[in-house]
Amino acid sequence: MSLITIAGRERLSHTAPIGPPPSPFLGRHLRPLAVPIALLAIWELLAHAGVADPRFLPPLEEVVARGVAEFSRGGLAFNLLASLERDLIGFVCGSVAGIALGLAIGFSRLLERLLGPVLLVHRQIALFAWVPLISMWFGGGEAGKVVFIALAAFQPALINTWQGVSGIPRSYRELAEVLTFGWFDFARIIAIPGALPQIFTGLHSALIYAWTATVGAELLLNIAPGIGGRMNEGQHLFHMDLLLLCILLLGGVGVVFNVIAGSLEHRLLRWRIP
Amino acid sequence: MTGPVAISEQGRGQSHALEIADVSKRFSVAGRRVQALSHIRLAVDDGEFVSIVGASGCGKSTLLRLVLGLDTDYDGDIRVDGHRVERPGLDRSIVFQEHRLLPWLNVEANVAAALRQSGLGAAERGELVRDHLHLVGLDQFAKAYPAQLSGGMAQRVAIARALVTKPRFLLLDEPLGALDALTRLRLQDELQRIVRHEGTTAVLVTHDVDEAVYLGDRIVIMHPHPGRIATILPVTDAVSRDRSDPNFIRLRDEVLSWLGVSRTGIDADAELARRSA
Amino acid sequence: MAAGLSATQTGPGDSTAGAAPVRRGNFPAAGILLLGLVVPLGLLTAWTVAALLGHLPEQILPPPWIVLDTLLDGIQDGSLLSSTMTSLERVAEGFAAGAAVGLVFGTAVGLSKTLREFVDPLFLALSQVPTLGWMPIVILIVGIDEGLKIIVIGWSAFIPVVLNTSQGVRDVPEAYVELGRVLSFSRWSKLTMIVLPSAVPSIFTGLREGLANGWQTLVAVELIASFEGLGYLMAYGRQLFQLELVLSAMIVVGLIGLVIHGLLTLAENRLQRWRPETSR
Ligand SMILES: Nc1ncnc2c1ncn2[C@@H]1O[C@H](COP(=O)(O)OP(=O)(O)OP(=O)(O)O)[C@@H](O)[C@H]1O
Ligand SMILES: [Mg+2]
Repeated sequence: MSLITIAGRERLSHTAPIGPPPSPFLGRHLRPLAVPIALLAIWELLAHAGVADPRFLPPLEEVVARGVAEFSRGGLAFNLLASLERDLIGFVCGSVAGIALGLAIGFSRLLERLLGPVLLVHRQIALFAWVPLISMWFGGGEAGKVVFIALAAFQPALINTWQGVSGIPRSYRELAEVLTFGWFDFARIIAIPGALPQIFTGLHSALIYAWTATVGAELLLNIAPGIGGRMNEGQHLFHMDLLLLCILLLGGVGVVFNVIAGSLEHRLLRWRIP
Repeated sequence: MTGPVAISEQGRGQSHALEIADVSKRFSVAGRRVQALSHIRLAVDDGEFVSIVGASGCGKSTLLRLVLGLDTDYDGDIRVDGHRVERPGLDRSIVFQEHRLLPWLNVEANVAAALRQSGLGAAERGELVRDHLHLVGLDQFAKAYPAQLSGGMAQRVAIARALVTKPRFLLLDEPLGALDALTRLRLQDELQRIVRHEGTTAVLVTHDVDEAVYLGDRIVIMHPHPGRIATILPVTDAVSRDRSDPNFIRLRDEVLSWLGVSRTGIDADAELARRSA
Repeated sequence: MAAGLSATQTGPGDSTAGAAPVRRGNFPAAGILLLGLVVPLGLLTAWTVAALLGHLPEQILPPPWIVLDTLLDGIQDGSLLSSTMTSLERVAEGFAAGAAVGLVFGTAVGLSKTLREFVDPLFLALSQVPTLGWMPIVILIVGIDEGLKIIVIGWSAFIPVVLNTSQGVRDVPEAYVELGRVLSFSRWSKLTMIVLPSAVPSIFTGLREGLANGWQTLVAVELIASFEGLGYLMAYGRQLFQLELVLSAMIVVGLIGLVIHGLLTLAENRLQRWRPETSR
């Protein structure tokens, strides 16, 4: 997203140099790879030179072998799916509730005044502070985990929807009055399309928060199939290779979520781009 | 104006204060080439006030940017005292088309910002800023932020900022374009007074033909596609600086007809075609 | 003055850590603030009544007065205060480290296109890993001492600070950059007079998110690996099934969150006095 805006800005800039920049250091398309490759090379060197404790710095081929073994046996894949399932259920529940409440508060001044302050305070309670309470109310099993994930997704969805609706410019509200729109037309023609970008922003954050919460729930609550469970195992058995593999998966899922959310956002909000 | 001999001698020996020599500038917009400026030739002498008029998009702002040194990618040469302009410098200051005040600085600090590279002491700077705010009549607003000013006031701050460095060249890109007619008239007088008082050399881009005639010693008329100089009209002493003087009106009408607007509205296009042929 | 509550939203896409949305116009007067008390007071009353009538099992929700007692006890015997101080110290240290490095790094990445091309993709990929995911590895490497907390909290604050700072620095309007050139600004002047002030809203969004993240992470890390602090207090209360302990710690967590929020808003408003009052 940011990269696109930058490219656009530079094209318009008055001073964009024509032709190649002076003495480019490494080809443009190679640059993103340079740092990771260098880091991996240093890693590999250190691992083989015997400088670093192999328990802390397993050679890369060990991590790869571990990955191949895990996935061919289906172990890690199964865990990944378990985490994803939990994540998505929580995400859907939380964000639907968040959007619904956000719309209600955004539309109704009374509701906003009644609930706004409570929600503001609620929001200041760090998410993970709910873990002990949730585990006592819903147990540390599947139910507790999903509730926690849903709570994580709920907040950004709610806040952004609320913000989106209440941030609709006064001029649009006046337009609706001039056109004598009823409540429903106002919502359908003005408020929801106007708030949509912000609602998407909320969903996007909700997706990220839900994923964080999934990992947190799996690490903090009862051990169950899932990436977090495997990380617990890796920590207790000192399997650095497994931990690294899990990190890779966590990051990979995050990237995929981001790409999906980004492209959906882009597609659905195409009308906004001037 | 001195005779042609004096100028050419100066050109060979000492050279003009500002010389725009055969300058062309192309942009590529969406893959297509746009000729923004084509073979612009213009020499400006010290203390002169040159007005530039021309249709929107004929390259006036682009020309000023080149003179400033914001963009050095062009054909031809722009020289100050015979030296090619390589980069912006405090000898050339500008009032942009939009005021471009920094919103996070108050009026005083905005004007003072221009003095950061001046090498002056704090006391001197403070005095200069105060003087120039006084000059544009904004002493009372030194502590105000740009968001709290009206458009005209903001533009006056921008003028103060441009003048505070006592630049040799003052470039003005439609500085009064956004103002109401009354304020504009007042500021025109103000501008004239200041420029004469400080002995500044000024290049003024404007859409207002009256303004061009009223302020300019010469009027450069530009035509678009590609942006070029159609003609340069001197504002002779016979044209008194009185807007209702017949000579004034005659010159204004001549400028207008160069711009393709005729008083009677007929055969303006024919006139234009004849002239640019 | 309801300055603490009526933050004007500034950062683009600030979704999770910023101020609550605020209606156009002034913040509601006293009568409307009272309206905001209706729901909390109603809930409190319901809770009290239900507890008085014995409808609430203590394992689900202990009576409010017990929670209050626990809270006051904790304050009196200093245990709650010392836990709070420990937690605050950790957040302060971690956040200060993460934010400071993040500001410098974010500014550098925002200014230099070359640097960006080298580190952006790696950084973005790393930032996608939930912070908690790093915890097991960091625990193996540095143990569960203070180092762990500073690193994890610092990292969680670092990411949003870097992202927002670099975006803000890149989004400096071209017109202002040009002005800096026309005024012959030195690099330093350009940075301090133009780039950074113009990036302030973004930077603040980053700091806000960073502090919120740091606070979140603190609670998590204390729940997982700690023997002091508010998070530990909660974990302890949970193990002993002392819900009142959990709740009183949560109240403190919420209060601190509110205070932080208020302070940030104040600082932000101060730094942005130049913004027109009717922005939005
Ligand atoms: N950065 C740029 N990239 C591409 N084309 C440009 C750029 N700047 C100007 N142009 C083109 O150059 C031409 C001249 O533009 P310029 O801004 O100089 O016009 P102008 O005479 O100042 O017009 P106006 O009176 O409306 O301000 C226009 O056709 C414009 O499209
Ligand atoms: Mg222009």
